[in-house]
Amino acid sequence: MNIKRRLHRIGPVFPIAIILAAASMALQAQDAVDFFRENCTSCHTIGGGRLTGPDLKNVTQRKDRAWLVQFLQSPQAMIDKGDGYALKLKQEARDVVMPTINGMSLARAELLLSMIETESKLPKSQFVGLQISDRPFTEQDVELGKALFMGHKKLANGGPPCVTCHTFNGAEGFGGGRLGPDLSKAYERLQGRKAMGAWLYAPATPTMNPTFKKAALKADEEILPLLALFESTARAGGEDDRTGMAGFFAAGFVVAVLCLGLFAVIWKARFRGVRDTLVELSARKVLGGRS
Amino acid sequence: MDVRAQMSMVFHLDKCIGCHTCSIACKNIWTDRKGTDYMWWNNVETKPGTGYPTAWEDQDKYHGGWECEDGNLRLRSTSKTQTVFNIFHNPHQPSMDDYYEPWTYDYQHLFNAPEGPDQPTAVPISMVTGDLIQIKAGPNWDDDLGGSPVYAENDPNLAQLNPDQRAQMFAVERLMFFYLPRICNHCLNPGCVAACPSGALHKRGEDGIVLVDQKRCRGWRACIAACPYKKMYYNWQTGKSEKCILCFPRLETGQAPACFHSCVGRIRYLGVVLYDAERIREVAGLPQDELIEAQRSLILDPHDPAIARAAQQNGIHDAVVESARNSPTYRFVKDWKIALPLHAEHRTLPMLFYVPPMAPVMAQKNGSAVENVSDDLFHDIDEARAPIEYMAAMFGAGHAGKVRYALRKQKAVRWYRRALTVGDVNMATAERMLREADCSPAEAEAIYKLTSLCTFEERFVIPPMHREQAIEMLADPMAHKQGVGFGFIEGPRRGL
Repeated sequence: MNIKRRLHRIGPVFPIAIILAAASMALQAQDAVDFFRENCTSCHTIGGGRLTGPDLKNVTQRKDRAWLVQFLQSPQAMIDKGDGYALKLKQEARDVVMPTINGMSLARAELLLSMIETESKLPKSQFVGLQISDRPFTEQDVELGKALFMGHKKLANGGPPCVTCHTFNGAEGFGGGRLGPDLSKAYERLQGRKAMGAWLYAPATPTMNPTFKKAALKADEEILPLLALFESTARAGGEDDRTGMAGFFAAGFVVAVLCLGLFAVIWKARFRGVRDTLVELSARKVLGGRS
Repeated sequence: MDVRAQMSMVFHLDKCIGCHTCSIACKNIWTDRKGTDYMWWNNVETKPGTGYPTAWEDQDKYHGGWECEDGNLRLRSTSKTQTVFNIFHNPHQPSMDDYYEPWTYDYQHLFNAPEGPDQPTAVPISMVTGDLIQIKAGPNWDDDLGGSPVYAENDPNLAQLNPDQRAQMFAVERLMFFYLPRICNHCLNPGCVAACPSGALHKRGEDGIVLVDQKRCRGWRACIAACPYKKMYYNWQTGKSEKCILCFPRLETGQAPACFHSCVGRIRYLGVVLYDAERIREVAGLPQDELIEAQRSLILDPHDPAIARAAQQNGIHDAVVESARNSPTYRFVKDWKIALPLHAEHRTLPMLFYVPPMAPVMAQKNGSAVENVSDDLFHDIDEARAPIEYMAAMFGAGHAGKVRYALRKQKAVRWYRRALTVGDVNMATAERMLREADCSPAEAEAIYKLTSLCTFEERFVIPPMHREQAIEMLADPMAHKQGVGFGFIEGPRRGL
């Protein structure tokens, strides 16, 4: 009786607590998935093979959890400490060191590892990486890539065209923006089709990440042509060395001077000082009369 | 009828001796601050001359005042659309050179100069930049025809004269000049008020004084271009415009404005007049030759009981109406019609009137004697050294009739008084002159008295300002009753 009554009294609390707990776990899991997508996928896959960084499938079995958590929070520190496995990883990644990720707390690292563990058990993880076709690049791909780069063709998800910040050897007009690096040789720098494709799929730099977080590029329609473009420019060699800016400023100067000249003509009869003119005219009259 | 009161002025140019005391009195009170150093709210010009700022009367250059096309009044300088485009750059304004670069002297140099072969001098330094400057011009640079070939000969009013007349005006034996003291005209249709994009200018309800609200003024300077008299000034220190305030703090305490009070020649008269505000638009749009008469007709007769009643209904205190009945301005402008507005053709309806000066007549030489008296009594008004067309350009809106009338009446009064006191002219002739000049002996006496024997109280008839009533036009004085006293204009800054 007593117990039943007590249960009755606390009755609704139990299920609510369970729902809340489940919800919070689900939320945390979702957070880890999002975090992984935004910060890790440009270098890592789960079961999709190595990009810049190693494939993370079954990573929890390769190394113990404590070490992994430590490494996740500060990769550079582990290398500086001279940790053997960390140095080996660095060597495998051709000296690219994993950056310290913003927001990588202890709790988040644990969540990430749990998430990777779960994903590893799946036959096909959602993070196998970018699945772009392996077909060879064609001329049309290069042309389409150029159109996408220059902004002649809009990016499907509304991202800004590459030309806003980047340029490449052979870009039209005055070339592209100089804010970001010249992408002529990016295909080599980022080690080919697969790695660069992954990078474009989820760019990880502080400027690219927030820009493309909500405007991801489309795999076959956009990333493939862009890769084709970068592959061709890398093959052609050389970087954009045009003196576009100097030309631009020179043209600007000429136009400005022409405009000023035009204004001077349009407002030729504009009001100027009165007294100075009077004095000058009188002086001319007096001197003219004398000579 | 919309009866309102206006403080209105008369300057009797025949009495002005060009001493600049008025200018100094004004400067010492109002414009000795940094940024106002170049301003002369009151200035005295020599005519013929270009005045201050240089050639201010030349509206082809400065675009001041109103123009009227098919009865439509519009400002020459700007319009509602143009204000937008010219908001950051208002063309057609006098430059600093047209005013003059204000300067002082490095007096310390007189004491500190190292010993040398010459006396040390106090070198001029600019009051704007503080650098040593070469003085090129001043606010009365052409005083007494100084620099005539530059200044006097470029007087815009000479444009209406033919080349012979112009040449004669500057022939040595015909040379003449007179002084023209100028303050703000406190116009009935002020261009400055109309041009202000910020609505910072207003005409005070109780006495028609035109003022700049120093808080609302944004320094767009539209008023400076719009005023045909160039009596708006830009304070480069505060970034606001300033102008003559007719010494309203003095008026409110029953004193005459500083320039009036200090006038040595006693040329200045001040009194309130009643006018019909309803007809301003109509009068300002009339053809040029009707302007002066129409402006005169705006001024209402305070002796008329109907007008006194209408004034009372419009919130004008009885004491103000009573003061208007004693106003010397009313007598000069309406009764005697010998005071005329300056450059009425700009249609601002200026409320400062000038009694045109009697230029000396040409002397005739009979053998060795110089004869100054001509039998042709009125003819020599037209024979005066200043051609009547020149006077008409300034005081007659280009038409000589009103100026001739004023000069003839003045001359008749002189002859009448001469017949009375000196007796060397025939009284019958004098009375005939009076008749022909549309003047009775009683009127001649009155003109003579107010011109020559006027007392302080006759020259300045200042009504009680009744600020306590005037404020009711703008705000409810009881609004803050039972609040913080009678309220603060600005919140107190103290404690928390």
